[in-house]
Amino acid sequence: MRGMGEYLNRQGFTVCGIRLAGHATQPADMLRVRWRDWLASVEDGYHLLRSCTDEIYLAGLSLGGMLALTFASRFPVAGVIAMSTPYSHPTDGRLKFARLLGWFKPYLPKGGGPGSGWFGDVWKEHVAYPAYPVRSLGELGQLMDVLHAALLQVKSPVLLISSRNDHPRICQSMEKIHARLGSADKQMVWIDGSGHTITEEPQREIVFQTATEFIFRLNPTGL
Amino acid sequence: MSQILPTAEPFFFPGSGKNAKIGCLVQHGFTGTPKEVRWLGEYLNGRGYAVCGMRLTGHATQPEDMIRSRYPDWLASVEDGFNLLRSSCEQVFLLGLSMGGILSLTSASRLPVKGVVAMSTPYNLPADPRLKYLKLISKFIPFMPKGKGEPGHGWFDKDVWKQHVAYPENPVRSIAELNALLVIMRASLPNVKVPVLIIHSRNDDYVIKGSMDAIYDAIGSTDKQKMWVEGGGHVITEEPTRHVVFKAAAEFVERVSRT
Repeated sequence: MRGMGEYLNRQGFTVCGIRLAGHATQPADMLRVRWRDWLASVEDGYHLLRSCTDEIYLAGLSLGGMLALTFASRFPVAGVIAMSTPYSHPTDGRLKFARLLGWFKPYLPKGGGPGSGWFGDVWKEHVAYPAYPVRSLGELGQLMDVLHAALLQVKSPVLLISSRNDHPRICQSMEKIHARLGSADKQMVWIDGSGHTITEEPQREIVFQTATEFIFRLNPTGL
Repeated sequence: MSQILPTAEPFFFPGSGKNAKIGCLVQHGFTGTPKEVRWLGEYLNGRGYAVCGMRLTGHATQPEDMIRSRYPDWLASVEDGFNLLRSSCEQVFLLGLSMGGILSLTSASRLPVKGVVAMSTPYNLPADPRLKYLKLISKFIPFMPKGKGEPGHGWFDKDVWKQHVAYPENPVRSIAELNALLVIMRASLPNVKVPVLIIHSRNDDYVIKGSMDAIYDAIGSTDKQKMWVEGGGHVITEEPTRHVVFKAAAEFVERVSRT
C-alpha cells in the first residue's frame, strides 16, 4: 500500500499505513490472531489519523477492503475505497473446519508458481507471507459473514475497484458488494492489465488517480 | 461499536516549529492503555515534538485479547510506532512507563533510537515459586487480581486514579510473557548505548526497590542518569509526580537531540 500512500501524500493528504495484527513479522504470529484483531488494527489507524486530521478516508486492498467496509458500517468515515475485495467464500467445505484442520496442517501453500497471476515483474519486490495460515483462513471466512451483514449499514460514499484479470470470484464480488451497499453514492471501476494486487501492478497509477479523484469530488474545496 | 476502550485510543500529534522532525514514542505498560501516557504526549507536543502513542497488541480492548498476545507482539507494536514516527522524523526517542520502559530499553538495543526515558520500569518480577508454572496455571486460572488492598490502593491522587483506564485484573498467561520479556531486556541492556534517563518514584508499590540501580548499572551507555520523584505511586505519568516527570523528560529530549 506504500506506493498508494506516497501518491496520496504527494496530493497533500496525511497518510497512515497501518500493519495488521500478526502480519509482516513471521507467519507463526498470524496463527494467534483473530479477525477482531485486524479490525482493531484498522481502528488504531483511524484514531492515529483522527488525532491530526478532520476527515478520514479508508483505502483497503483485498482483506483490507473487507476491513475498510466493515469498519465504515460502525464508524463515521468520509469515504471508502475498496480494491480487489472478495465477497464470497471459496466453495470449499473445509473452510468451516479451518480451526480444527489448522491443528494438523498449519499452512496452506499459495497456488500457482512464483509470480503466477501477476503481470510484469513487480511481484519480485512484493513482500508477503509465502503460505496461508489455515487458522487465519477460518478467520477470513468469519469476517466475510460479518461483512455481509455490515454492507447495508455502510452509508459513506464508496468507490470499488477491481481488475478484470483477477480471480473470477473477486470479479463477481465487486458487483455483489455494490448491490448490497447501503450507500447512495457508490461506484464500480474496472481495471485491465493487472492481477489481484492492483496497488502494485502495472495499472496502479490509474488506481491511484481514480482514488484521488474520488476524494477530491467529495472534497471540492479540498486542500 | 468501538473495540478500543473510549478515551484509551492511540494518538499521533504532528510536530511543529524547530522540533518538528524530532519524534517521541510514548509507550504505555502492562494491561494499560495509551491514555496513561497521553498527558506526557501532549506536554511534549506542546514543545513542538512529533508524538505517537501506540496501543500494544491485546491492550485497551478486552482482557481476553491480551491472553492471546505474546511479548514479540508488544515489541512489534513499539517497532510500529517507531516506524510511523520515522517516516516523518529524523530522530526518534522512546519514552516508556513500566512495561513500556522495558519495551523501550529492549528496542533501543535493536532500533536506531536517539535516546530512552524509562519510567517506573522493573528489572525483574518479585520471586515467586509460581512463576515457573504460569503457562500451566493460566489454563485453569486466567486472571489474577492486581496488587493489594482496596481499589485505588497505591495511588496518591484518587481523582486521577478514577479516570485511569486499564484492565481490572492481570491475565496470568501474560505475566509469563512479561517475565520472558524481562529476561530479554536484562540481556539487551549492555547493548543499549544511547543516552538514557531512568525515573522512578520512591512511593512505587509495584516495582522492586533496587530496580532503578540494577537497570542503570547494566546499561551500556555512558550518558545515563537516575532520577527519583516523590508524591506519586507507580503511574508517575498521571500522578502528581507528572509535572516533574514531564519537565525532566522534555529537558532530556531537548539536550540529547542537540548532540
